[in-house]
Amino acid sequence: MTLHHYLILAAVLFCIGLMGAFTRRNAIVVLFSVEIMLNAANLNFIAFWRYSENPALLHGPLFTLFAIAVAAAEVAVGLALVIAVYRHFKTVDLESMDTLREE
Amino acid sequence: MSGQIAFWILSAIAVLGALVAVRKRNLIHGVFALMIFFAALSGLFLLLLAEFIAAVQVLVYIGAVGILLLFAIMLTERVAGDDGRRMTSRGWFWGLVVAAAVFVILLLPAIQQWPTPQATLTPDPSVEELGKKLMNPYVVTLEVLALLLTAALIGAVTAAQGVRMPNEEDSPE
Repeated sequence: MTLHHYLILAAVLFCIGLMGAFTRRNAIVVLFSVEIMLNAANLNFIAFWRYSENPALLHGPLFTLFAIAVAAAEVAVGLALVIAVYRHFKTVDLESMDTLREE
Repeated sequence: MSGQIAFWILSAIAVLGALVAVRKRNLIHGVFALMIFFAALSGLFLLLLAEFIAAVQVLVYIGAVGILLLFAIMLTERVAGDDGRRMTSRGWFWGLVVAAAVFVILLLPAIQQWPTPQATLTPDPSVEELGKKLMNPYVVTLEVLALLLTAALIGAVTAAQGVRMPNEEDSPE
């Protein structure tokens, strides 16, 4: 397996996530998609680390560890916001939340 | 050789899981597909010799994030998803176009046939080394991250609790 295999796989996964974030209307599915994109980026970090000149520095796993922690915080806050928005609008449909739109 | 077979199987599972998670109408099924995607990614991390990251992936994503998403779904919409209504957003076509364009841009360097680096050195991915690195050069990052997690915890509780009016407490619900 070469580095390119992993990079192409990560690109495919990232674009699936991007597609979901752009085309779905449910706020929770958009959160799924963001998670998929973050995981694709983590796969890139680990693949580059494995094929780097000096893997003993452990840059890849450390960066991925920090990214996972930030992603966990992001999911917690994101879902809390989705629940708060649901309480206000009684829906998680992103297209009905258009209060700021010019009439 | 067996590593190659494992790579192809795991990447097929990851791509299928991500596609199902993104396209499924039923949100609960979507979360389970997402968990399968996370598990496949954990296997890929194992293939790349990042054992600790694979374990963290299982603990944090399959364990915590999956359950959190399930709870959020049960607290909000009807479980079966947006039945009857349109599933995709108004500008879905342009969303697809932009996603495809980003995909092509990401693939361009791979098409240009740059020399592929070979994995010459086998890293020592022991947890001990990782812990020492976290304590010696990255201790400030670790502390900032702990602060961020605490702030996110408090922020999530505050946001989910909602604003309560002072005269609302007496009114019977």
